[in-house]
Amino acid sequence: MNLPRFCAAFVLSILVSACATGPKLAEMKSTIPTLKSDQGRIYFYRSSSMLGAAIQPSIHLNGTVVGDSKPGGFFFVDQAPGAKEISTTTEVEKKLTFTLQAGQTRYVKTVIGFGIVAGRVYPELVDNATGEKELEETSYIGQPLSRP
Amino acid sequence: MKAWKLPLPLVLLFLGGCASEVVRYPVSLSAADRQSSRQYVVLQSASIRFDSGYERTLSAGTELVEVGTIKQGRVLRPVSTVFTIEGAHTHEAYPVVSDGRLVGFYLPVEGAFSPLSLSISLPIQERRP
Repeated sequence: MNLPRFCAAFVLSILVSACATGPKLAEMKSTIPTLKSDQGRIYFYRSSSMLGAAIQPSIHLNGTVVGDSKPGGFFFVDQAPGAKEISTTTEVEKKLTFTLQAGQTRYVKTVIGFGIVAGRVYPELVDNATGEKELEETSYIGQPLSRP
Repeated sequence: MKAWKLPLPLVLLFLGGCASEVVRYPVSLSAADRQSSRQYVVLQSASIRFDSGYERTLSAGTELVEVGTIKQGRVLRPVSTVFTIEGAHTHEAYPVVSDGRLVGFYLPVEGAFSPLSLSISLPIQERRP
């Protein structure tokens, strides 16, 4: 294999491995547990764009790592109601604050932006209609779920 | 020396992570009674440009519910949509209206008011159940 082909294959393999693999929402929806009445749910997701695909920072929720921002991936966490702070750290730390009520579902999308040295990943709060629609295109990357 | 002239959006794009914090002051919210909360609808879109350089639009048809009052005005939470303001970080924000004008935003997590440098007209109409 000549050098250009080797380089192309190498870059392609990195990009492919950078993307989320897992079941689509439609394939695993039935395994998602019903939300408890005293909790709220936050879905985290990222679209499957190849732009900045290798940049996959951890996502912190109120200071605790809850998962990674992977292109084309989603996961969710159930939380007690209250103030929530989401943060991602790449070249800079970017925080998002919002409230979560009992029984409420919220959607946080992580998006890639340009930085000075490298790309940056930002958390964005999106409305439920947009979140529900865009989640359909992503794959589950959270903890394994047991069938109900 | 040749002057470097970069378009403002490009500069903001690159310096986004260096943006200043959203200006805000602690305020006390007098919560409205949930049962009798008034609901409103935005009649005309309002474009808001923040001192940080970011822009947001409050679209016509956006439904708002009154969650309480602060010294600066009535606090209206968007329904079925989300509204955030952005500086160095991003904050969920509820519009604050006084005398038909948008004067700033209430940040529910921070319990703070973020004023607009210039208030803007925000025509809203109360929705009767």
